[in-house]
Amino acid sequence: MLRIEHLTKVFPDGTVALKDVSFEVKDGEFLAIIGLSGSGKSTLLRCINRLIDPTEGRIVWDDKDITAASGRELREIRRNIGMIFQQFNLVKRSTVMTNVLSGRLGYAHPVWSLVHRFSPEDYELARAALERVGIADKADNRADQLSGGQQQRVGIARALMQEPKIMLADEPVASLDPVLAHSILQYLETLNREDGITVLCSLHFLDLVHRYATRVIGLKDGELVFEGLPSELTADRFKEVYGEEAEMVTVGGTMSA
Amino acid sequence: MTHDATPTPSPTPGRTSWLPPLVSLLLPGGGQALVGRYVRGAAILLAIVVMAALIIWLQGYALLAPLLGIWLWNSWDSYQLVRGRQPRLGVPILLGALIIYGLGTVATQVQPTRLVTGWSSMQPYLRALTKPELFTYPTEDQIGLVPIQVPCIEPLPEPARKPTEQPRLTVSVPCASVGDVVTIQGEGFFPEFEGELWWINPIGDPQRVLENGQQATFVTDAEGRFTAQVKVPLAVPVSEQPGPGETQTHLIRAEQHKPYGSPQPTETLSLVVDKIFETVALAFLATVLGVIFAVPVSFLAARNLMYGNPVTRMIYFVVRTILNIVRSIETLMWAIIFAVWVGLGPFGGMLALWLHTVAALGKLYSEAIEAIDPGPIEAVRATGASGPQVVVYAVIPQVLPTFASFTLFRWDINVRMSTVIGLVSDAGLGFLVIQWIRLNQFRAMATAIIAIMLVVSIIDYTSSKLRERILEGAPAARQVSPTRRLVTRAALVAAFALVFVWSWRLAEVRLSELVRGAPAGLRMARDFAIPNLIERPTEERSVSRPLPVPCGAAEVPSTSGTGAGVSLSLECGNVGDPLIITGHDLPPNQDVSVRWLLPDGAFLRVQSNCCRTDETGTVTVETRVHPLMELSEGMTEPGQVTIVWKETVGGPRFSEASRRVLELSIVTLLMALLATTLGSLFAIPLSFFAARNIMGKTVPGRVIFYGFRLFFNLFRSIEPMILVLICAAWVGAGPFAGVLALALNNIPNLGKLFSESIEDIDSGPVEAITATGANRLQTLVYAVVPQLVPRFLAFILYQWDINIRMSTVIGFVGGGGIGQQFRLWVGLNQYDKAGMAVWAIVIMVWSMDYLSARARERLI
Repeated sequence: MLRIEHLTKVFPDGTVALKDVSFEVKDGEFLAIIGLSGSGKSTLLRCINRLIDPTEGRIVWDDKDITAASGRELREIRRNIGMIFQQFNLVKRSTVMTNVLSGRLGYAHPVWSLVHRFSPEDYELARAALERVGIADKADNRADQLSGGQQQRVGIARALMQEPKIMLADEPVASLDPVLAHSILQYLETLNREDGITVLCSLHFLDLVHRYATRVIGLKDGELVFEGLPSELTADRFKEVYGEEAEMVTVGGTMSA
Repeated sequence: MTHDATPTPSPTPGRTSWLPPLVSLLLPGGGQALVGRYVRGAAILLAIVVMAALIIWLQGYALLAPLLGIWLWNSWDSYQLVRGRQPRLGVPILLGALIIYGLGTVATQVQPTRLVTGWSSMQPYLRALTKPELFTYPTEDQIGLVPIQVPCIEPLPEPARKPTEQPRLTVSVPCASVGDVVTIQGEGFFPEFEGELWWINPIGDPQRVLENGQQATFVTDAEGRFTAQVKVPLAVPVSEQPGPGETQTHLIRAEQHKPYGSPQPTETLSLVVDKIFETVALAFLATVLGVIFAVPVSFLAARNLMYGNPVTRMIYFVVRTILNIVRSIETLMWAIIFAVWVGLGPFGGMLALWLHTVAALGKLYSEAIEAIDPGPIEAVRATGASGPQVVVYAVIPQVLPTFASFTLFRWDINVRMSTVIGLVSDAGLGFLVIQWIRLNQFRAMATAIIAIMLVVSIIDYTSSKLRERILEGAPAARQVSPTRRLVTRAALVAAFALVFVWSWRLAEVRLSELVRGAPAGLRMARDFAIPNLIERPTEERSVSRPLPVPCGAAEVPSTSGTGAGVSLSLECGNVGDPLIITGHDLPPNQDVSVRWLLPDGAFLRVQSNCCRTDETGTVTVETRVHPLMELSEGMTEPGQVTIVWKETVGGPRFSEASRRVLELSIVTLLMALLATTLGSLFAIPLSFFAARNIMGKTVPGRVIFYGFRLFFNLFRSIEPMILVLICAAWVGAGPFAGVLALALNNIPNLGKLFSESIEDIDSGPVEAITATGANRLQTLVYAVVPQLVPRFLAFILYQWDINIRMSTVIGFVGGGGIGQQFRLWVGLNQYDKAGMAVWAIVIMVWSMDYLSARARERLI
């Protein structure tokens, strides 16, 4: 159980990114977060693994206060929370294998890992993760030689190395074409269903929300404006979140799903 | 044949696994060849042979230990290859680097202790830099003089000068010897004011009185009185010392200078200001003339224009080659060459700047032409435009911004160069620096150095701003009336013409010098073309005969038997007596030199351009006995008449000069290598402090950030040649000073580039790695370092290219390497040897450019 309590984030330049946001995520949920660009989705996700420190409020996970953690404790919490990104955030000049292994850094020996030494078990795990996302044959390629969809799969494999309990996905498919978008979300769905990993995923397309999410929250100008099941997200509610101008757009290629 | 690229060849069956390692142990690389890895084997053999040769040549015998390590590794390597494994190259590369850097420290005479021991000799430079001579006050002076006779004799004559009455100076004793301490007293000076003490020798040369090595001063009391101790200095050269029973009158001078009124610029400052104008004028003229010549040249050097038919392609290659040769010789080296042609002065300096500009811009322009987009040309041609119309409407608009940007860039370089070209020629600010260093006038020198820094920073800043504007494109054109536009343009053209004429005059352009100096220039060019590569070794032989002057001053040994010898028309003689010198039984048709061997051991030629023996091996010279042949008191050996000639012995061999060039080329390369490495090692950690994103937005972070940025920019404006001068004062002239100066110059240059690429790193991977629960160090290693390594390496290679070029010229001002020898040879008119140095530099620069371009391709 992940509990967000009265979360507020004010950036040093005065921007209020989150305003008193509270909600709960039960273990095993696939939570979609919707909202315009700049509505605070990314900030919210980054507060959960403390890439950004919230200004006020608490985040409690299984009775552990994430917001109070620091140092080794914080790193251990992060280790259990995987994250994937819109721009994949791979180290482009490193090999796929190195990128994937870097997901294991929270477990690895603090000194040996600095000279790229990992245990044989870690290598085994990395190969398994790459196989799981279907790019085992690319292990020795440089990351920038891969296509966008493949790079995002490397990103997932890297997150898998953490053996996470929660997976944060920050617009994971916004840089990909519709077919690839589905294939990436299907991997997340598999992780959610088979491994029981809680998924928090920010998304833009309503049909993707309907197709994959088990629950939805909507953010507007940093405030929580919607919380409910995907089926409750009607056109009117959608306009509440995205503004009057918004039209529902669907992602083509839903048939391939 | 198995190619080297084949991964892990399977073990060859039927071959024993101990044989290749054994062969490798006897002949490095042999075992590798045995298992079919010929390239690997050859590379190992070559590396070991070259390194062994260098170690023996440079006498760094301690480095044989790592070489032995490589040798043993080579045996192990072939053993592993036999067993089908592919050993990594980490160990031998590490050992090889150890050897190369070891050789570098040996060849460039790196002595870190000198950094400490030499610190005190650099102090005057640093102190002077904090107080340049800018303004001075007019002064009211009080000057007191008192005579003192050195040494004491009996009876003491009246001194040649009287002491001054007002102010009054008295000395405790009328005479003293060198090293004595005398007491002086003064009265009637400015009360409670400081003054200087000077010692003036009999011919009127003043020198400051020293006290424990420091310049002595005095301070008067409230009545204008003072007392001071003065140690009698050795103020007269040994040859001018008074004889026995004689004495000389020296003067002690006490002077006070009391400032009043408003400050006036010093003479130093006005000289510096004059030279600032000259510096800028040289750069301006060289740039303008350079552009005028570079534009047509660039068309001849553009591949896309010249590749059409065989004739133009030929021209293309010739032009390109010439441009490359000219470019690989540094401007300062051209300045030395042009000084031979047109003499020292601004004109020669301007020509050097101009020539290098033509070559550099010619290449850059031609690349801009090659990069032209053919689309617009096609489009304009499709409208039915003529050839010239196509050029005006499709070609020029495309190349103009690039040309302008390159020209500004070059103008920037030319100003920098013209500030230091005076270090080898009488042109611009650099001349003042070197002149004042020679005169030990450090404060004046500091004024000139600061002027250089100022000029360089201003030009650097303005031209980078201008370049930005050119590349961004001009802001939207304002509506201006045609007349106003015409007036503005006319004014611009007039201003340009005015500056051009003014520069022409300041640069002292005298085209007649080009003609007048042509014979010297041509002789040099001819000698440059014929390198002194091979020589036959010679031995000097001589025959001589003593000639006592005057007669009876010394014993004359009796003439010895037959064979080569000298006979004289006089057995002995007096100064000025006519004398016939005959050399006999010498090698026929041989150039010989007939010399006086003076009683004090020195020698003088009897006649210049003399002489040559006839077919019988005889040479005769008529002369008069030279005055210096006279024996003075205390000399027992009489002077001699000597005939000297050189005889070749043995077969031809590589000349002494060619071996020197090879040795110095290696030293020069090692200097550049060491400097690049040292500079990088220091720049990498420092650059993090100058990176905005690393230092963050906290107050101390920003203070550190701006501090480092300022430090980098300030230090970058000190020209490397000036740093060489200072480092030569610090650790002594030689390669070490050069390495130190280049490294000190590289730190801020690389530091700035590094910090900019740190600011440029993609924060995404950093975020992602942090999110996995990695600690800071792990994040650095996995997300930051992989992004930085290729960029840093590319910058280091770029700096390496520059360092190679710089290290060929830093020898001109005490930085060691091949430049020092080049300047010496030019000074001795030995242009055949100097030419060899030039060719070596061309080859060195070319090959290193090629290597680093290849390395860069692989990195990016």
